[in-house]
Amino acid sequence: MRSGLSASLALALILLFVVLILVAVVPLLPGYDPFSQNLASSLLTPGEASIEGQLYLLGSDALGRDVLSRLALAGRISLFIGFSAVALSLAIGVVLGLIAGFFRGWIENLIMGIADLQLSIPRVLLLIAIAAIVGTGVLNLAILLGLTSWVVYGRVARAMALSLREREFVLSATTQGATSAWNIRKHLLPNVLPQMLIVGSYELGQIIVLEASLSYLGLGVQPPMPSWGLMVSEGQTYLELDPWLSLLPSVALFMLVAGVQILSQSLTAENDMSAEIVKVQ
Amino acid sequence: MIYFILRRTFQSVLTVLGVVTFTFFLVRLAGDPTALLLPVEASDEDIARLRAALGLDQSWIVQYWKFLANAVSGDFGVSLRQRTPALDLVLERLPATLELALTSFVLGMVLAFGIGLAMRLSTSARLRSAVLWLALARQAIPVFSFGLILILIFSVWLRWLPSLGRGSLAHLVLPSLTLATYELALYLRLFNASLNAEQSQDYVRTAYSKGQSRTKVIVAHMLPNALLPLITVAGINLGLLLGGTVVTETVFSWPGVGRLVVQSVSQRDYPVIVAGVFIISLTFVLVNLIVDIIYAYLDPRVRLS
Repeated sequence: MRSGLSASLALALILLFVVLILVAVVPLLPGYDPFSQNLASSLLTPGEASIEGQLYLLGSDALGRDVLSRLALAGRISLFIGFSAVALSLAIGVVLGLIAGFFRGWIENLIMGIADLQLSIPRVLLLIAIAAIVGTGVLNLAILLGLTSWVVYGRVARAMALSLREREFVLSATTQGATSAWNIRKHLLPNVLPQMLIVGSYELGQIIVLEASLSYLGLGVQPPMPSWGLMVSEGQTYLELDPWLSLLPSVALFMLVAGVQILSQSLTAENDMSAEIVKVQ
Repeated sequence: MIYFILRRTFQSVLTVLGVVTFTFFLVRLAGDPTALLLPVEASDEDIARLRAALGLDQSWIVQYWKFLANAVSGDFGVSLRQRTPALDLVLERLPATLELALTSFVLGMVLAFGIGLAMRLSTSARLRSAVLWLALARQAIPVFSFGLILILIFSVWLRWLPSLGRGSLAHLVLPSLTLATYELALYLRLFNASLNAEQSQDYVRTAYSKGQSRTKVIVAHMLPNALLPLITVAGINLGLLLGGTVVTETVFSWPGVGRLVVQSVSQRDYPVIVAGVFIISLTFVLVNLIVDIIYAYLDPRVRLS
């Protein structure tokens, strides 16, 4: 089992390393230009050079834009949205979850009621409905995904707070006059944070897929900005003759999501999803 | 049991009420729809008349109450584009979505059960780990990518199956495979995990010590217990499935509610968006209610807690 775990960890690191090269090194290359259009060199196959002699390593799209450059920028955007949404939702979820679990009573019912309500609307649909009204774009998307993804953290944080609040170190602090805010900050927060980061690592993959899905639907990142999801949808028209236009961003997305997923799995104590079953309940 | 059903039903009604309230605020956030409905050169009196006709000049509480009353009676207003009641447009598309979702759900479940059980009965550890890796890989491919890969292989290259639209049974194959394999991957991993958890239980050891065969212990003893978590997650996961249909419907031009909602967003057709969100959420809440009742029936601890 141990060797199996380290083998999968190695695989995850390789996948993530390739993505890292893509988003960090490609923009430093001399030909990097995700936006400039050149209709004379549209739909070049990967490795083909334009008439002017410029090499398109991963080909060009229908408007003659360099696919490699767009993949790199799209990756940066995806990671930006992913990390900021996870940070935002983690912060909201931890605060609400700890408040619910520590104070109990009506505030717990209220917070958990909102959580249940939110879970009763499929997340993609909820996001579509809100995006329809507040508009799309990179920053909006990060905020929107952050605001709608707190429930997982909230539930886990509350469950942990429920048992922590009865522990001796919290009770003794309370008898010595510690305020609730102090208790939550000094005693509860440090104890739930590691678990939250594990949940966050799992959520990162989910958020990136959500962003890509929304962008695929045309309700996420807006052109001319690239997003892997948007690039797949732009390429769908040319699926028959130029399938790489959709396949390349799909591969990039797969590498990132699979890498994050395997990594988060090896973070959990064992390769066991029964812990996640409990989390969901 | 009756008490449990009543309590859960009451909760579901509250949830639906919450969804309606949420959509009300969503629509109000969208701002004044009169600008969308009237031509640019409309006079102030025209705007005021339309606002009065739509009830927008009344207080929020009155508006909310009316919205609630209308929603309960199934009136979500008229589609801004098609000039037909929004709910009718959505209900027209509902069978297509349910067909896709249910086919995928059943397909995913049956395959997960069959493959999961075969995987457990086989003694090859290598086979089991290969299946679990495949499942993990499938989970990392977004629905739209997987759908396109299927289209590429089976429609473009092999020309076996149609890639767009709904009609014959052949049209259903690729979209439902796209969704079902995602479900399958999740269920397989869960099923495996929960069978692993059962394996170390006392009753399993007892069964073995009585001299029962491996097959008998797995099928007769472990299986019923290992299925419980699967049912819960399957219920919760229906939301994911319904969300997944939105994307899948777009990939395959499947004429369902999800695609209608996505199209309505680009046309700013708010009544249709609201009706669509409401209907899908209602379906989801109903399914969850049924799943919970089945679950409570199977596991007495749930209904007594």
